Amino acid sequence: MNEIFKLSLIFSTIRLSTPLLLAALGGLYSERAGVINIALEGLMLAGAFTAAAVTHYAGNPWIGLLAGILAGMAVASIHAVACIRYKADQVVSGTAINILMIGVPALLSGAFFLSSGSTPQIPKDNLIPWTPVVIAFLLVPLTWYVLYRTPFGLRLRAVGENPGAADAAGVSVNGMRYAAVLLSGALAGIGGAYLSIGQSSLFTRNMTSGRGFIALAALIFGKWRPVQTMLACLLFGFTEAISIQLQGVKVGGEEIPNQFIQIIPYVLTIVVLAGFIGQARAPRALGMPYQKER
Amino acid sequence: MKSRFLFVTIVLLCALVALNSSCNRGTQTADDKSKVHVGIVFDIGGKDDRSFNAAAWEGVKRAAKDLPIVLRDVEPGSPTNIEPAMRAFAERGYDLIIGVGFAQAPIMEVVAKDYPNINFAIVDGVSQLPNVASLVFKEHQGSYLVGMLAARTSKTGTLGFIGGMDIPLIHRFETGYEEGAKAVNPQIRVIQNFVGVNDSAWNNPGKGKELALSQIGRGADVIFTAAGNSGLGAFDAVEQAGRDEQGHARRFVIGVDSNQNGVKPGFVLTSMVKRVDNAVYNIAQDVVNHQFKGGFHVFGLETDGVGYSLDENNQTLIPPDVLKDVDAAKQKIIAGQIQVTDAMAK
Repeated sequence: MNEIFKLSLIFSTIRLSTPLLLAALGGLYSERAGVINIALEGLMLAGAFTAAAVTHYAGNPWIGLLAGILAGMAVASIHAVACIRYKADQVVSGTAINILMIGVPALLSGAFFLSSGSTPQIPKDNLIPWTPVVIAFLLVPLTWYVLYRTPFGLRLRAVGENPGAADAAGVSVNGMRYAAVLLSGALAGIGGAYLSIGQSSLFTRNMTSGRGFIALAALIFGKWRPVQTMLACLLFGFTEAISIQLQGVKVGGEEIPNQFIQIIPYVLTIVVLAGFIGQARAPRALGMPYQKER
Repeated sequence: MKSRFLFVTIVLLCALVALNSSCNRGTQTADDKSKVHVGIVFDIGGKDDRSFNAAAWEGVKRAAKDLPIVLRDVEPGSPTNIEPAMRAFAERGYDLIIGVGFAQAPIMEVVAKDYPNINFAIVDGVSQLPNVASLVFKEHQGSYLVGMLAARTSKTGTLGFIGGMDIPLIHRFETGYEEGAKAVNPQIRVIQNFVGVNDSAWNNPGKGKELALSQIGRGADVIFTAAGNSGLGAFDAVEQAGRDEQGHARRFVIGVDSNQNGVKPGFVLTSMVKRVDNAVYNIAQDVVNHQFKGGFHVFGLETDGVGYSLDENNQTLIPPDVLKDVDAAKQKIIAGQIQVTDAMAK
C-alpha cells in the first residue's frame, strides 16, 4: 500500500485536475453571469484540436495555445449569440455545440491530415506540459479577486442574480453576459489545449472523454465559487489519480477488480454531493434570458 | 420566431456534420461497376491510430493498388454510426464489407443477416453466419514473444502493461505477455492497467500517459501497450524518462498491432505486430478471385499473422543471443511444445 502514497500521486493529481479546473473556471464566469454553459466539453474539444493542429503547422506551442484560446472563444460566441441575442434555451444550445464539436474537428482533421481520428504527433520539444497548470492554479485567486473585489465582478454577479436591478443601475446585462461567455470559451480552450499539447502530444477524436461534464459537476459541487471549485476539481483529480495507482496493486494478497477501481471517482462524487456539500444555490437568474422591460 | 429559426438551423447543421463525418467518402465519386467494391468501416480509433486501424487501412490500400477494387472507407465518430455505415455500403451493393474491431461483430451479425448475398469480414470478431469471415489472431502467441523480449531487457524486474478497454481480447495480450516474461524470469512482476471500461478508452492519450508514469514510478522499465490512441500517451511517458549517459533510453515501450518502432525511435523496444493488413488484403483477394469463404480465418505465429517487429529503429536494442532464444521459443510454440494460455478460451 505504501507505494501508492507518494509525491508522484500529488503531481498526478495536479495534472489530472488542471483541465477540469480550467474548464470549471470558464463555466464559473459564464454561469455567474446567468448563462448555463453545458457546452464546456465542446469548447474544450475546439481548443484541443485547434491547439494541436496549429502547433503542428506553426511548430510553436505558444501560437498553438493562442489559437486554442481563440477557437474556444469562437465556438463560445455561437453559444453567446444563440442564448443572449436570440434568447434560445441555453441547455439546448450547449448540447448542440457539444454534438457539433464531435463532428467538426473530425471533419477538419480529415481535410488537413487525411485522418479524421487524430492529428499528427507533436515532438516533445514543442509541448507545454506545465504552463497551463500554472495558469490554471493562478487563475483561482485571480478569479476570486475579479469576482469579489472589482466592479466587473460585482456587475457580473449582479447580472446573474438580478439582471433587472443591474440593468436599472445602468449595467449592460447582455454586454456582461457576452463577455462572460467569451471568457469561458477562452478558459475551456486552454483546458482543451492542455490535453492535446500539454498532457499528451496529439489530438484524438473526443479526447476530452467527459472532462467537460466533470468540470461542470465540480462547478456545482464548488457552489459556483472559485476556491471551492478548485477543491472540487482537485478531489476529482485525486480520485482519478488514486484509481490509476490502485490498478494492479494487491491489497492483502488480493488484486482489486479493475471495474471497481474505475467506479471510485463516480461513487465518491455521489457520496460527496449527496452527503457533504449541503444545498448548492445557483445564481438566481441562471438559464433565464434577459428581456429588457419596455 | 427568430430564435426558433436559429435552432432549426443549428440542429440541421449538427445533423449535417454528424452525417458528413460518418459517410463523406461513401458518396464522392460515381461507382465503376466492373470493379469489385470494398467498403471498410473502422473502429472508433479512426484509421490513423498508428496501430490497429492503421494496419487494416494499410491492407486495404495495398489491395486497392494491386487488385481491381473500388475502395471506400468510413470512420464512425460514435458507435451508433457503425450500423448505418455498414447498411449504406450494403444498400449500394458492395461486394465486400469489412468491419474493424470486436465491437462491430454484433452489428455485423444483424446487417449480414439482411444481406445474405454480400460478403462480410470482421476483424477481431466472430460470427457464425456463412457470409461472414471472422478474421482472428493469436495475439497471446505474439505477446508471449514480446514478453520474453521485455523480461530480457528489464533491469528492474518490473514490467508494465497498459490495455485500452477492459475486454477479454485485451486480456489475451496481457496473459501472453506475462507468461512470456515469466518464462524468462519467474520472479518478474507485471503491473497491468486498463485505460477504461468503455470505447473512449481507445482515445484517451492523457490517461494512457498517466498510467505509464505511474507504472514507471513503481519501477516498470518496459511497458507493453495495447490501447489504440491511448497507448501513444505511454510513448510520450517513456520519452519523458529520457536517456542515460550512454544515450540509451531509460525506459522502453512496446508498440502494438502496427510496427510502431518509428513513433519514438530508440524508446520503442519492439512492436507486437498483428498482420491485420495481410488478413484484410487476403480476404479482398479472395473476393476478387471468387474464392471467399466464411467462417474462421485464424492468423498465428505459423503464418506470421502475429509476431514482433525488427527494423533499423530497434536492431541495436536487442542483442543477438536474445533474438536467438526468442526465435527458439517461437518454433516451440508453432510445434506445440510451448502452450500459451489463451485468455479468451477460458
